[in-house]
Amino acid sequence: MADRKPLYLMTPALVWLSLFMVIPCLLILALAFFRRGIYGGIEYDFTFENIALVFDPLYAGIFIKSAIIAGQAALIASVVGYAAAYAIAAMPKSRQPLLLFLAILPFWSNYLVRTYAWIVLLNREGLIVSVARALGYNQELPSLLYTETAVIVGLVYNYLPFVILACYAPLARMNAEITEASRDLGAGGWTTFRRITLPMTVPGIATGFVFVFVLSIGNFVTPALLGGGQFQMIGNLVYAQFLTANDWPFGAALSMALIAIMMGLLTLQTFATERASGGRVRDADG
Amino acid sequence: MTSALLSIRNVEKHFNKYHAVDGISLDIRENEFFALLGPSGSGKTTLLRMLAGFETPTVGTILLDGKDVSRIPPNHRPINLMFQSYALFPHMTVAQNIAYGLEMEKLPRAEIKSRVEEMMEMVQLPHLAGRKPDQLSGGQRQRVALARSLAKRPRVLLLDEPLGALDKKLRGEMQLELKRIQHQFGITFIVVTHDQEEALVMADRIAILRDGKLLQHGTPLEIYEYPQTRFAADFIGVMNFFPARLVDGALRAADGSAFRATVPDTIGAGEEVLAAVRPERLHLGAGETENRLTGTVRAMAYHGLDLQVHLDTPLSPQPVMLRLTADAAEGHALSIGDTITAGWSARDTRVFAG
Repeated sequence: MADRKPLYLMTPALVWLSLFMVIPCLLILALAFFRRGIYGGIEYDFTFENIALVFDPLYAGIFIKSAIIAGQAALIASVVGYAAAYAIAAMPKSRQPLLLFLAILPFWSNYLVRTYAWIVLLNREGLIVSVARALGYNQELPSLLYTETAVIVGLVYNYLPFVILACYAPLARMNAEITEASRDLGAGGWTTFRRITLPMTVPGIATGFVFVFVLSIGNFVTPALLGGGQFQMIGNLVYAQFLTANDWPFGAALSMALIAIMMGLLTLQTFATERASGGRVRDADG
Repeated sequence: MTSALLSIRNVEKHFNKYHAVDGISLDIRENEFFALLGPSGSGKTTLLRMLAGFETPTVGTILLDGKDVSRIPPNHRPINLMFQSYALFPHMTVAQNIAYGLEMEKLPRAEIKSRVEEMMEMVQLPHLAGRKPDQLSGGQRQRVALARSLAKRPRVLLLDEPLGALDKKLRGEMQLELKRIQHQFGITFIVVTHDQEEALVMADRIAILRDGKLLQHGTPLEIYEYPQTRFAADFIGVMNFFPARLVDGALRAADGSAFRATVPDTIGAGEEVLAAVRPERLHLGAGETENRLTGTVRAMAYHGLDLQVHLDTPLSPQPVMLRLTADAAEGHALSIGDTITAGWSARDTRVFAG
């Protein structure tokens, strides 16, 4: 029909995104197919070398390692965040906004400052070690800082609010009569959670998981500060190519691979969410 | 008393200082279609939730087959509830929804399958087994919810405003359908409703609730013809009220004329009362009836089946309503402003404390 949608309202966003997102991405993509100059810089002859190098076991290994770390962070954040969201959604309606506000409060402070705070906590003479000492633990503690665990802890901490928000939305939307119906039909509390609440809120968990994964796999600040250069994640590798190795074409190829992974996951998640929410067929008769 | 399947004994439910249910005792028999009728805030839904197990009585007990079930959680009661919102599981198909309760009983797979099929047959939806709830119409969802809660063959099925979300025509069909299904399964139905017509049509017995208290219970006929309180008379159907006073054993209307009626013993001499009559008991013309009134036609509403005439009369501050059958209406070509006389008999007159 002729009901005109105000599409023109999208124009500013479209212009902004094309200017500052699509065009730079295309430039980086183009860069990936050129050769690196001997003293840095770019030589404009076409090559697939950079792309092929991404699949070199050395670099592919870093991709896999990053994916494993991001996956662990996303998994832990999803479990912890879902539990928190569940608890908030179970509170009286009047208190929920305050609790949500508290959950996302860390977001309002600087990312770097928060990550440095973790260094203070995990340090050899940091708070955790001091507390352990005070409690009478005198043996040498395993190093907390500059480990893979520290990186995962930092990533989970940083992205937890995303998961809480993503899981809270479907939990809060659930009609209380649905879980009551499950109880009424003979299910206990755990069965009701497993068969009703959890499946109905999977889209929220998936959104949270993918968010944390995508943000973690490309992150370079947390691995640099809490990993202490013990190992590299893709983010650090890309950073190094552009800023220290001066190999922009290879850095471009790496970032393209990273973006491809992220886009793939986000697309998958969007489709999965759409399917889980019933597919919107609406051909009811009668 | 002994034949009661479900016995509600002096039950109260307090929410802080508010008494949602305030001392209700009721016996509900096996195979009965029972209606809890009341306006919103009357406590009918709270009472229903206590029967289902979602609320625990603050005071009193609920007996099922003579056993106290007041504190048994909902998943261990042989009582099922059909929710007002139907509460179908959106991520499951129609067949999965119906099977859910049976799976909780750990029935063999084959039996679950055959019972689900039987249930879908009963609600006439076998072709929709694979649909998800949001692919169904409101009426279909209502049938699925009914099938799901009946599949477990509960001792008692509770229905919370079961027809509230349906349009008027469908509601009429479903009233009869529910009665048929109740009869076929021989299960006790307790339905909560604020719709008096629904209660009259469906129920074997009706309890009228108000402010957490039980006002009256009885068959639809008893409730409609012999309401015990002014509230019940007004809530069920339409009632015309005439202020009157009991003088020397006779009822005197505002203008001094007399009403003939049986006055309850509880009313003393000189007391202000209300004489009442149903619109369909009023007849045009004085005839041989004991009571009569004269009034002017203020408005008329044609309903097909009958003609509703509103009369202004000095006997009542509110307009008095008459319901004339199509035949009677044709016999008297009424128009607005006409002065007419209507009569009714003493045995159709009820008297309530003012």
